[in-house]
Amino acid sequence: MPSDGCSNSLAVKAAAGAQFLGPNRGPRLSKNPRAPLTEVPTTTSAHPGSPCGSASAKDSVEWEGRSLLKALIKKSALCGEQVHILGCEVSEEEFREGFDSNINSRLVYHDLFRDPLNWSKTGEALPGGPLEALRALCRRTDPGPVTIALDSLSWLLLHLPCTTLCQTLHTLSRQDSCHGDSSPGEQVHVLGLLHEELHGPGPLGALSSLAQTEVTLSGALGQASAHILYRRPQQRPSHQMDPTTHLTFNLRLSKKEREAKDSLTLPFQFSSEKQQALLCPGLGQPTSHIFYEPDAYDDLDQEDPDDDLDV
Amino acid sequence: MAAAATCSTGTRSTGSMVVAASRNNVTSFQRRGPRTSGTDSGCSRLVSISGTRPSVRNGQLLVSTGLPALDQLLGGGLAVGTVLLIEEDKYNIYSPLLFKYFLAEGIVTGHTLLVASAKEDPADILQELPAPLLDDNCKKECDEDICNHKTESNVKMKIAWRYQLLPKIEARPVSSSRFGHYYDVSKRIPQELIEASKWHGFFLPEKISSTLNEDPCSLNHGYIKLLQFIQNIIYKEGFDGSNPQKKQKNILRIGIQNLGSPLWGDDICWTENCDSNCSLTKFLYMLRGLLRTSLSACIITVPTHLIQNKAIIARVTNLSDTVVGLESFIGSEKETNPLYKDYHGLIHIRQIPQLNNLICDVSDVKDLAFKLKRKLFTIEGTWVQALVRNY
Repeated sequence: MPSDGCSNSLAVKAAAGAQFLGPNRGPRLSKNPRAPLTEVPTTTSAHPGSPCGSASAKDSVEWEGRSLLKALIKKSALCGEQVHILGCEVSEEEFREGFDSNINSRLVYHDLFRDPLNWSKTGEALPGGPLEALRALCRRTDPGPVTIALDSLSWLLLHLPCTTLCQTLHTLSRQDSCHGDSSPGEQVHVLGLLHEELHGPGPLGALSSLAQTEVTLSGALGQASAHILYRRPQQRPSHQMDPTTHLTFNLRLSKKEREAKDSLTLPFQFSSEKQQALLCPGLGQPTSHIFYEPDAYDDLDQEDPDDDLDV
Repeated sequence: MAAAATCSTGTRSTGSMVVAASRNNVTSFQRRGPRTSGTDSGCSRLVSISGTRPSVRNGQLLVSTGLPALDQLLGGGLAVGTVLLIEEDKYNIYSPLLFKYFLAEGIVTGHTLLVASAKEDPADILQELPAPLLDDNCKKECDEDICNHKTESNVKMKIAWRYQLLPKIEARPVSSSRFGHYYDVSKRIPQELIEASKWHGFFLPEKISSTLNEDPCSLNHGYIKLLQFIQNIIYKEGFDGSNPQKKQKNILRIGIQNLGSPLWGDDICWTENCDSNCSLTKFLYMLRGLLRTSLSACIITVPTHLIQNKAIIARVTNLSDTVVGLESFIGSEKETNPLYKDYHGLIHIRQIPQLNNLICDVSDVKDLAFKLKRKLFTIEGTWVQALVRNY
């Protein structure tokens, strides 16, 4: 179980910053995972380009990640998203500690800690255990962007087969596209906390391949640091912006301008008979014809023919 | 696969043919018709299928993988009836690209597609295919076609009046019978091409209900469904020669994404403890049987870096025909290696099949690296490893 009492500098910085990187950056690794964290990239999760997908935070005994998870939840709640929490490891009171009341009112807490196997039969516990709880989250039909936080994925991995968990997580994060029309606000963000030391490389690798963003917490010399790995999502041009808006020049013609344009004499404009002759070359024309059309600059003076030139 | 006449390879055999001709004064080398193998429908001369060509080595019918550079490394292309296995790179960035090249090539040459995935909807995968770079003839027809549609028939053009009487070209899908096309990765394939093509999609979450209990001794439920789906399509559309009255033969291109990942319900990616009940190997065996009896070619991407049991990786490699591995430099120490700074990763041709041959056509260049430029995916040989070893 992760222990508290490590430095909280990471939690503070994460609360100030944001969780999802911009969509146009490729998989970016921090250069030195051991260095103290100086800045966290700042884009908000309500950015229309932000990915809808899952993010996992990996922590270990020395560097606990629940505070990061809570910071991310706080950020989502402040942005107006609805937050569902599946709590398995700590009690609800302990989890809600540290949030002020308006954030607490936005959190919907599904408690799997108190009575996961429904032994007390009081009807308070979630029926069906963890799998049913996850599936109920999948079937939820509230509109609007929503964040689902899983605390923790390790607990779920220990109680469910990895395959089932991966498939259910995939269904969770795909929810927006199931609901028909695509509007950028209807996005589902799934956050999960994973304790690295409890699992072998297999389940860790399997869950990592599902997550779009992965934050690994480590540190040295009392300073926590986060190693962020972000997979760029597929570019999906679902909303084609009209490129002719927001231009600094004018692309439209007024009526007067249109009339002026139509009445303009083009330099190579031919008479219609010449056009027709050129377009439909007759088959029985033995000789070629010369069509002479004087333009504005030609000076035809009938009294001065060139016949008297001796050249 | 139908046995083909063995076209001799190598200089030794050409020399012997010349000797034979000069000795007998009559050439024993008879010119055969354009014989393409791959099916035995009984007709003496097979109408050639668009987008295919016979291999110069062993006469097998080849299709292009969508990347002419990769075709060259594989000995001309992918043989019809075989499986191309792509070992995914660690963060699954470049293997979907090869997958999409294969499918885009199918659309451009008019083949039928079958796309199976557990992660993305096949319709979405098709939307993201790269746009083909057409040559000038096809492009001009496309442009004129667009311009004819925009102007009405009675409007006299003021400036471009010479084009008024050009015949209107009907909108038709651009199909090309060339082998191997180039694609522009930064653009999407035009919607008309997708709509004009024939494709079937298999998206796993839609096909199975998740509450089904699986019998651990038999094949994975998702794999069973997929095999049945493929078999159904092959039979219904006559790719296995079951409809002899069908004159126009076509190739079925099958693409299966992320096979073996937990999303397919397979557990090889997270446990080492796979005994002989490994579903993936059984699936590959049955798939190859289906492919060998039909006019189809298949591409599969497998996350082998996640497979815990090395024996399974070896078995999967043996059960596939052509195996190409991608290794990207992201996150590895090779990223900072100055000798690899121009490239994004290494590509390993791990296996090439020996079809009706005793030897296989292995490329001479062993160190191959790839680079994803803005528009193109290029593969080049690099001899840096030899240099590094020398230091």
